[in-house]
Amino acid sequence: MEGSIMEAGRYVGAGLAMLGAAGAGIGVGLSALGALTGMARNPDTYGNLLSSMILGIAFSEAIAIYCLVISFLMLFKVV
Amino acid sequence: MEQVKRRPWRRWVLLGLLIVGYILGGRFVPVQPEITVAPEKLIEEPLFTLPVIGDFYLVNTMPTLILTVILLLIFAYAVNRSLKKSAQTDLVPRGIGNATEAILEVIYNMTEGAAGKWVRTVFPWFATIMIYVLFANLLKLLPGFESIGVLHHAHGEGHARELLAGNWYLFTAEEGEYILAPFFRGISVDLNFTFTLALIAVVAIQVVGFRAQGWGYLTKFFNFGGVFKKPVFGVIDMFMGILELISEFAKILSFAFRLFGNMFAGIVLVSVFGALLGKISIVPAAIYMFELFVGIIQAFVFGILTMVFMSMATQGHGGEEHAGH
Repeated sequence: MEGSIMEAGRYVGAGLAMLGAAGAGIGVGLSALGALTGMARNPDTYGNLLSSMILGIAFSEAIAIYCLVISFLMLFKVV
Repeated sequence: MEQVKRRPWRRWVLLGLLIVGYILGGRFVPVQPEITVAPEKLIEEPLFTLPVIGDFYLVNTMPTLILTVILLLIFAYAVNRSLKKSAQTDLVPRGIGNATEAILEVIYNMTEGAAGKWVRTVFPWFATIMIYVLFANLLKLLPGFESIGVLHHAHGEGHARELLAGNWYLFTAEEGEYILAPFFRGISVDLNFTFTLALIAVVAIQVVGFRAQGWGYLTKFFNFGGVFKKPVFGVIDMFMGILELISEFAKILSFAFRLFGNMFAGIVLVSVFGALLGKISIVPAAIYMFELFVGIIQAFVFGILTMVFMSMATQGHGGEEHAGH
């Protein structure tokens, strides 16, 4: 009984940890929005904006990666 | 210019490898691996013990560390030879020397834009960290990493084994009593590596700050000068300085966990998708390709963040400093 409650808690916790990915999704979308607006206004800056955009996306994606790590750790009983 | 008839034999090799991978993925279905945050111990007993610090184990990131350093040395030797050869003949760099020069020129210009006259101090840190982390990240994608190793008795769940040949065994899908401790595990999947690199980077940032501004660098953190002159804003400045001090320590953690988290999630994704969809081998291959991209991006991010923080440390307060002069 106790074991199954623990197990349920692990799965629920892993799911809840992935809620943080929503914020990262918003962040990635915002950086793509900004870069695309800039590109549309001034197509010459395409290369510059693309590299900065990928950098910004990497930063916001790191947040989602933290969540993914926590959720994997819960799912596979590492901690 | 005459046309040379190209024989695209390499793409047939690639196609053959794809088909072989597809067939082998169906025959030997990958089992779900044991996922551990700490690197696995190759030998269960500690190598030696120090009195205060504790036991030292032979973990499987150490062979990879040696491999990485050897590969870096070979890379440096090849670049050096290529550039020397071009300097002796016609001053036109070719091959690996040319490629390295192009990459380094791009990031040199980037550093010059951010750091100004301190570019000669900041650039070696940027380039060194970027190339080292790049090798560390890409090496973990080699076939054989995380999949060939020594068998240990499992403490929890494990896998059964079947004899392959001689002393070599193969995991089967059934439950059993063995787990795998691979010979090689990418060094950036070890928190020790990323944390040490973050510590080195942050200490180097402080050193560059002191070299640029002398003891005046400390006023960034301990800013008591304005407390008596400007009653309200002086106190706010003081607390801002303390926040800066805390954020220096937060930099270490964020550096370390960003790299470790990305790389760890990468190997977990690859192994879980391999175990779930082993027969449809195109999906793990796509994840693999994504991991290649993530490895390059994270190496670049680690380097560029070091560079940006260093150039921020050289610049000081800006407005207030200029007002004082």
